[in-house]
Amino acid sequence: MGDILFRVQSLSKYYQMGEVTVKALEDVSFEVEKGEFIVILGPSGSGKSTLLNIIGGMDTPTRGSVVFNGEKITNFTDKELTMYRRYKIGFVFQFYNLIATLTARENVELVAEITRSTADIDEIMEAVGLYDRMDHFPSQMSGGEQQRVAIARAVAKNPQILLCDEPTGALDFETGINILKVLKDVNVKYKNTVMVITHNSPIAQMADRVIKMRSGTITEIIKNESPLAPERIVW
Amino acid sequence: MKKLNLRLFRMIKKTKGQYVAVLSIIITGIFIFTAVSNSAVNLRNTLDDYYDATNFADIFVTAAALPERLERELEGHDNIRQADVRLALDAKLITGDEDERVNVRAVSVDSKENKINELFVKKGRRTIKEKEIMVIDQFALARELDVGDEIDLNIRGRKFRFNISAIVSSPEYVYLMENEQTLLPDYEKFGVVFIEEEYLRRISGSGLFNEVVIRVNNQDDLDETKDYLEEYLKRYGVMRVIDRDEQLSNSMLNEEIRGLETVSRSIPVLFLIFAGIMLSVMLSRIIKKDRTSIGVLKAVGFLDGELITHYLKYAATVGILGGLLGAVIGTLASGAMTKIYLEFFNIPMLTVQVYYERLFVSVILSTIFCLLSGFWGIRAILRINPAESMRPETPKQGKKIILEDFKLFWNKLTFSWRMVFRNIFREKKKFLLIGAAASISCSLMIMTMWMSETMDVIYVGHYSEFMKMDYNVGFKGFKDEGVLNEIKKYINYEHMEGRVELPFEIENGRHSKIVNVIGLEKNTRFYDFRDKKGNKLSVPAEGILISSNLAKVLKASEGDRIFLKSFIPGREGEYVTVKGVIEQSLGINGYMNIDYINKKFLDKGIINGVFISSDDKIKAKLVNINEIMSTQSREDMQNIFEEFTGLIVAFMGTMVIFSGMLGFVILYAMTLMSINERTLEFSSLRVMGFTKIEIFKMLIKENSVMSVIGILAGIPLGKLLVEYVGLTFNTDIYTFHGSVSTKNIFIAIILTIIFIISAQLMTYVKINRLDFMQALKSRIT
Repeated sequence: MGDILFRVQSLSKYYQMGEVTVKALEDVSFEVEKGEFIVILGPSGSGKSTLLNIIGGMDTPTRGSVVFNGEKITNFTDKELTMYRRYKIGFVFQFYNLIATLTARENVELVAEITRSTADIDEIMEAVGLYDRMDHFPSQMSGGEQQRVAIARAVAKNPQILLCDEPTGALDFETGINILKVLKDVNVKYKNTVMVITHNSPIAQMADRVIKMRSGTITEIIKNESPLAPERIVW
Repeated sequence: MKKLNLRLFRMIKKTKGQYVAVLSIIITGIFIFTAVSNSAVNLRNTLDDYYDATNFADIFVTAAALPERLERELEGHDNIRQADVRLALDAKLITGDEDERVNVRAVSVDSKENKINELFVKKGRRTIKEKEIMVIDQFALARELDVGDEIDLNIRGRKFRFNISAIVSSPEYVYLMENEQTLLPDYEKFGVVFIEEEYLRRISGSGLFNEVVIRVNNQDDLDETKDYLEEYLKRYGVMRVIDRDEQLSNSMLNEEIRGLETVSRSIPVLFLIFAGIMLSVMLSRIIKKDRTSIGVLKAVGFLDGELITHYLKYAATVGILGGLLGAVIGTLASGAMTKIYLEFFNIPMLTVQVYYERLFVSVILSTIFCLLSGFWGIRAILRINPAESMRPETPKQGKKIILEDFKLFWNKLTFSWRMVFRNIFREKKKFLLIGAAASISCSLMIMTMWMSETMDVIYVGHYSEFMKMDYNVGFKGFKDEGVLNEIKKYINYEHMEGRVELPFEIENGRHSKIVNVIGLEKNTRFYDFRDKKGNKLSVPAEGILISSNLAKVLKASEGDRIFLKSFIPGREGEYVTVKGVIEQSLGINGYMNIDYINKKFLDKGIINGVFISSDDKIKAKLVNINEIMSTQSREDMQNIFEEFTGLIVAFMGTMVIFSGMLGFVILYAMTLMSINERTLEFSSLRVMGFTKIEIFKMLIKENSVMSVIGILAGIPLGKLLVEYVGLTFNTDIYTFHGSVSTKNIFIAIILTIIFIISAQLMTYVKINRLDFMQALKSRIT
């Protein structure tokens, strides 16, 4: 067994909606090893986004803890959480969420600046296949290109884990496969841990481990002995 | 450049219309502040420098007869540094025109240099011999007199010819007025000339002097020194002891400077408040639009403080740029403005400085102001949760607006009007700002219209409704009533009344004021006295009527006993009862029954002037009567006023532009903001087949509703403003009262509407350029 990056212990998150208590997560526990490619699979409302938000330091649990590299992030203050997101986490969102008034390259440089990362932006842009398009603004790019910029942005700060929330959710099949290839390449090339959450079950075939969720709980954790290459996945 | 700064730069570029709009309001506010306050300081400094250079007197004494040795006597007093006796008398300039009466004040000067109130030579030489004369430059300019010219003066009934040796300025006559009652300078009809002391004494037949000017050691003991002088000079028939603050020219200049200071404090604040509100609304909308981006930035690790700083930089650039540009333009303009003032007031020196500390303070003030309003607008950043911001914002709960409860009204509205009202109620803050802008513009316009109207009302009203005489004739000294019979021989007249006009220091407790009190016939036909409520008052048999501004200065009201301290040698003073307070637009006076004033201070049947109503051209007919000092017609005063209307028109024009600009800019910026925020909505409407004009009309309807409400609210606001300005700008000379006419309210509304429509038309360009396909496509980014 490799080094543990994350330890999620008895995590629960409840929301109060009027008189009803919604249990978004209920007693979730698992671990993530460094360098792993994890897919969290589940239908809408299964709690996977809530889980990702808590792991990413964007939300706090009602109960339980998340230990990252030996530090209990669930005890962090707001500022510590921000620093944690700044230096340790790379996010990739379903709708890319690029800064519209910055070019592709500038979007990547923006995060490199705050993390004082020494990453070679040209090399990263090359790696995501956007070297020729890096001076374009988001509005001048396709959805797939924007998502690749979002990945480059996440990778540029050399995070310890990439958290990807439905990264192919807004893309067509072919573009989606391309994005998965980029994520896999990043995982291999930069040794980043990658966690992808999706409702699209074929994607789980490329994961080292699959965590299946339903109604806020983990239903199954599957270790994949022979992950498929992204280009062989079909949906 | 840091990427966030680059984003800021592009954000400014993208919102340039609104940015420039709010910037222009800041620039205008700071510009007015710097230009006007610097002019006030420049004017004050120039005046101080001029007074220093010419050793301007601290105390001015008028008496019946003063010996030359008095200088030495007075200089023995602890607080008197210098004293200079002189002879000042009223003379007439003999012109070719027999109808024309031109009064001059002939003042004696030392042959080489005055130790106090030295003259500033603008042309010619300062040394003066007998038969030479130095002429004050406003008068010389108005009468086209130059060095080397000869002029004839009638001094005490004899004609003397003088050669002009110099054109000069005097610190005592910067604001050249004959007396307090003149109200406005008339350079062609009144001037000051300076004649060598010994020569003037000789030709006037007077061996003695009648004035002494004094410099003191310690200003703090000025009142004690004045008291000492009044007591000490009784033996010489002291008439009047005044200090520099009461000196006519200096007090007029101080009023002007105070007016400038008031303007510099009030109007810029209004502009800054509006700019602040606008900036705050603008930034809050930007934050709302950037909600997801802010969430992403927070998600990737930006701190709240970093993001707040990022958006505050937007506000700071407006503050710094606006403050700097406004202050620089204002400083440049203040130089020019000071020059105009100095030319107007005829101060030969110019002290224009760049007040770097004021530039700095302006920039700091506007920056702090923008930062505070900016922070108010962007404080919502703190509440944005990165996880939630990724999800689309929950649509606002649709609910009925209050108007829907008024079924009769609501049911009559067409669908598009219902949409208009719903949008207004959905964006309350924005529309309230539009309403406030229209309201302020309209009220400022009303104030401007009122000011121009009221100046007219003041002069026309004063000289035709309050005072009804056609001519006011002043005698040289006191005469017996019998002199009227002589005048009657020369002219055709309808009515004639003798009058007495005397200066008094009126005291009520510790409040005092030197004013002229006019003695009138009991049933005078020449004055229409009204109290505040408009009730007619007649001249009381005993007691005094005082003008409302005098009542205010003295803190006196009907029934109070006030003390009239006389300047007539041998007459101490008397207590009289205030029998009424009258409204008077121009000047500050008291009015008494002529028999009563004579009984108390003079003798029976004494007068020193006459009021005449006549269609006859009496000026020409009276010009040769030696006892007559001045003849002033109603037309004379109204003509002088006409000359000043140029200044009023310039002031009005500037105010109308500033007031309109405020409404224009806010409406323009708010409409641009609407268009930017509702691009998707408008694009959808375009796709559905709405024309650009139809969309534009929709926007206009929304803005018009609030503009109309704003304009309606602007009417009472304007009236309040008028009341405030009336109170603030009241001086000894002007008393603003009276209301705004319906005609002027109407004009103000029309002008406001013109500015509002212009702003709307400007925004059509934006609608016309709206690329709806692009807007719909960019939905996902």
